[in-house]
Amino acid sequence: MPLSVDEKNLKQGVLSLVITLVEVIQEALESQAVRRMEGGELTEEELNRLGEALLELDEALEQIKADHGITQSVADLRRGLDDVVDEVVDKLINPARWADEAGDRT
Amino acid sequence: MADAFPLAPLEPVRNPQATLPDLIDVLLNRGVVVHLDLIISVADIPLIGVSLKAAIAGIETMLEYGMMRSWDEQTRAWVQRSISRTVPFLPDEELIARMAGACESSGYSSTWRPGTVYLTNRRLFVFRREPREMLWEARLDAIRAIETYVDNTIGGQARTRVRLRTGDGSILRLSASDPERLVRLAGDEIAARDARVDGIAPATTLLREGQLWYYEPRAGGAVWRGGQARIDAATGFSWKAPIDARAAVQLRPEDIRGIHLESDRAPTGNIVLVIDVPWGSARFAAHDITQWADATAAFATTTGTLAAAEPGAHMAGDHDAAQR
Repeated sequence: MPLSVDEKNLKQGVLSLVITLVEVIQEALESQAVRRMEGGELTEEELNRLGEALLELDEALEQIKADHGITQSVADLRRGLDDVVDEVVDKLINPARWADEAGDRT
Repeated sequence: MADAFPLAPLEPVRNPQATLPDLIDVLLNRGVVVHLDLIISVADIPLIGVSLKAAIAGIETMLEYGMMRSWDEQTRAWVQRSISRTVPFLPDEELIARMAGACESSGYSSTWRPGTVYLTNRRLFVFRREPREMLWEARLDAIRAIETYVDNTIGGQARTRVRLRTGDGSILRLSASDPERLVRLAGDEIAARDARVDGIAPATTLLREGQLWYYEPRAGGAVWRGGQARIDAATGFSWKAPIDARAAVQLRPEDIRGIHLESDRAPTGNIVLVIDVPWGSARFAAHDITQWADATAAFATTTGTLAAAEPGAHMAGDHDAAQR
């Protein structure tokens, strides 16, 4: 399943793609930050600094999306990306699918 | 065993939609190790070799496997040092909190002098960076009482400020951007310091330690897991499975609402220790479960009544009384 990036408006399309990837990385960072916070090794000062930095990143991303009017296209792209991942994961862990595909070919 | 635990047939269940963040989360939480050997050849003549060994995981997972521990510590220590280049910290002094604030100076007339309030594990001080001056400082063991109070600013607005009394009886007023947090952290630190000074050695507070089964709630239903439990008056009741990185159960005396023995199926017999906690109940089993029940009860009551005798030992007034 191909990802569709709007051809007519290439600049916006590329920007959406970049922002989408940054958002994915940001989410990964956030969930790892939560794990570290729960790990209990960080000091109070470090917790605060980490929380504020992530909040700033989040606000900056929202601001960029709003400025360029790409909130909707980023959301669409993410849904597309999720579908691709879903399909790949499904293919990898579901042996029934392998049989289906082998059957299709013969 | 199969007769003792009639299990429903397990059905493999998978969330129909896997998303990219889910995938990344799983990869980072579990960790990925890649070993790749690759030769690129043209006309069967090897030209380029690649030997790649990579381990990718969240730092918390890395630490669990004992990797990058010193690097993690160094990185975090570096920030501490870069702060301490500008601020005159003592050797082995650790920063706990830092916020904008001011302290009242009593000269010919009392004025508020702005600076940054630093709370460390040794001192509480107000420091001004430009021009460089230590406006006020006190060692934590010299602070007798610390509390918030509401003051009126020159403009007539009510504002929460911090008031503290030092060993020589002088009273100082501070203003800070987050006074409640400052007082809470300082109170905790002073209380922890007193506990260390009083010499309550953790070894003498151990009530019981040993093998204990825990009925662990999970997404697909609870299971019995074997592990080590420890009842310690200083650190609380904790239970941890050998393969876990952290304790799955961590109870303080005030968490224990009730203790009773129940007749139920368990790996070690037909008696289960049930501890009522604010978020439900925790079930444990062991061959010597009655001793565990006694130890837990002793832990809940002795330390519990102690805590009741001096509610919030870290609060300003009580702390003061305890000092005398």
